[in-house]
Amino acid sequence: MSEIALHLDSVSKDFGRIIALRGINLDVQPGEFVSILGRNGAGKTTLLNIISGISTPSEGEVLLFGTDPAASSNKSKLAVISHEMFLYSNLTAVENLEYYTQMYRVEGMEDKISSVLETVELTHRRFDLVSTFSRGMMQRLTIARALLHDPQFLLLDEPFTGLDQHAIAMLTTILKGQKAQGRTILLTTHDLHIANDLSDRFVVIDKHRVVYDAAVGALGVDELRSRFFSAEGAQS
Amino acid sequence: MLKPSLAIVQKDLRMEFRSKESILAMWIFSLLIFVIFNFTFEVSRLVMLEIAPGLLWVAFIFSGMFGLNHSFAVERENGNLRSMALMPVTGGSIYLGKFLSVTIIMLLFETLIFPIFVIFYDLQLTATLFLLIPVILAGTIGFTSLGTILSAVSVHTRNQQILLSLLLWPLVSPIIIWSVNLTSMVLAGEILTNFLPLLIRIIAFDVIFFTISFMLFDYILED
Ligand SMILES: Nc1ncnc2c1ncn2[C@@H]1O[C@H](COP(=O)(O)OP(=O)(O)O)[C@@H](O)[C@H]1O
Ligand SMILES: [Mg+2]
Repeated sequence: MSEIALHLDSVSKDFGRIIALRGINLDVQPGEFVSILGRNGAGKTTLLNIISGISTPSEGEVLLFGTDPAASSNKSKLAVISHEMFLYSNLTAVENLEYYTQMYRVEGMEDKISSVLETVELTHRRFDLVSTFSRGMMQRLTIARALLHDPQFLLLDEPFTGLDQHAIAMLTTILKGQKAQGRTILLTTHDLHIANDLSDRFVVIDKHRVVYDAAVGALGVDELRSRFFSAEGAQS
Repeated sequence: MLKPSLAIVQKDLRMEFRSKESILAMWIFSLLIFVIFNFTFEVSRLVMLEIAPGLLWVAFIFSGMFGLNHSFAVERENGNLRSMALMPVTGGSIYLGKFLSVTIIMLLFETLIFPIFVIFYDLQLTATLFLLIPVILAGTIGFTSLGTILSAVSVHTRNQQILLSLLLWPLVSPIIIWSVNLTSMVLAGEILTNFLPLLIRIIAFDVIFFTISFMLFDYILED
């Protein structure tokens, strides 16, 4: 019996008078790859913060693997990649990763670290301080860091933003590999083509509500764009 | 429980020793305090001994504030404190880790400052001077146990340093005042009967502050 990976029931979130999310219902099955699309300010980041347990909903219920997202059993299953790098610039790449393996109690630290560094092609810079890295390299190290503890559930908030073509291809390959291993992935992005290429399902959030939720292929990329992301779409 | 705390201490000390600037800055700052008070005010040795304990603690507290700010600025950078909230570790072990690293760094500052103090105020190194060790330890731990949790509270606010000072000073000042009193007794070589009760009172506050902060830290991390 495979328990449901994520269950959101009428989740709303306000920041004082600011509305961030309204009545979100969302179920995600284990191994599913879901892309969340929406304009700036739609509430995507807020949704991810609620799923990761960093933020609590104002109303509604969230269950991650059947329990509270902030439960300690969930934390070791989860990886978050956001615009915040979660890196110490005054440590080297390896020192950052060592710190993470200790905090996540990862077995076989050294092998694990060299393997993730290999994956993101940073092996040659492993003993350099992160402060000497370019932004793209920091993003790659962030991806390496997120993979260290073999997370069951990946939450990625616009992970492609700011990456060059090569790094986009690298991350695409990594995510396909993660999916092949049965990991559950939830991703927000502006890039409909990448989302179309990677995911099983599209969820569109507009004005803090889910306005579309269907398997990839139900609507073509152009159709989605004209319905939800064109100038006219904004009016309707 | 202890392993993640030690991982935090290890990374903090690594970074601190890599950028020696903060240690150097603190040392020069303390030197300045002592120089200014030693040469600007022509006071008798008796008066000097009256104010010296206060000056010593001013130097300690400023170095402590500096250390706290630095330690939490590093956590604010790149969202690292939020990253800690996502890790499978308890708030208590994060608190313990930050508390230990801040305390170790502050004690290190104090060890570097104290010799300058001894030279400037021409103190005789007598056996009673060793009584300063428990006093400094207790006073420092009181400051860092509170300072660690309050820094975490204020780290995501805009006027971080102001908020930290506003929260920290009222709570920590009794401990500092008692520590100054005890230091005066030791420097004057007059250990009064209330020395031990006062020291125990500081230690009791340390234990209370530490325990409460340890238990509350989980709530600090979620916002
Ligand atoms: N911490 C916060 N305090 C106040 N308002 C917030 C906060 N976080 C998000 N918001 C508001 O909630 C809404 C949704 O934001 P967000 O989830 O970041 O959108 P998205 O990621 O889709 O661009 C926005 O109006 C934003 O200004
Ligand atoms: Mg966002």
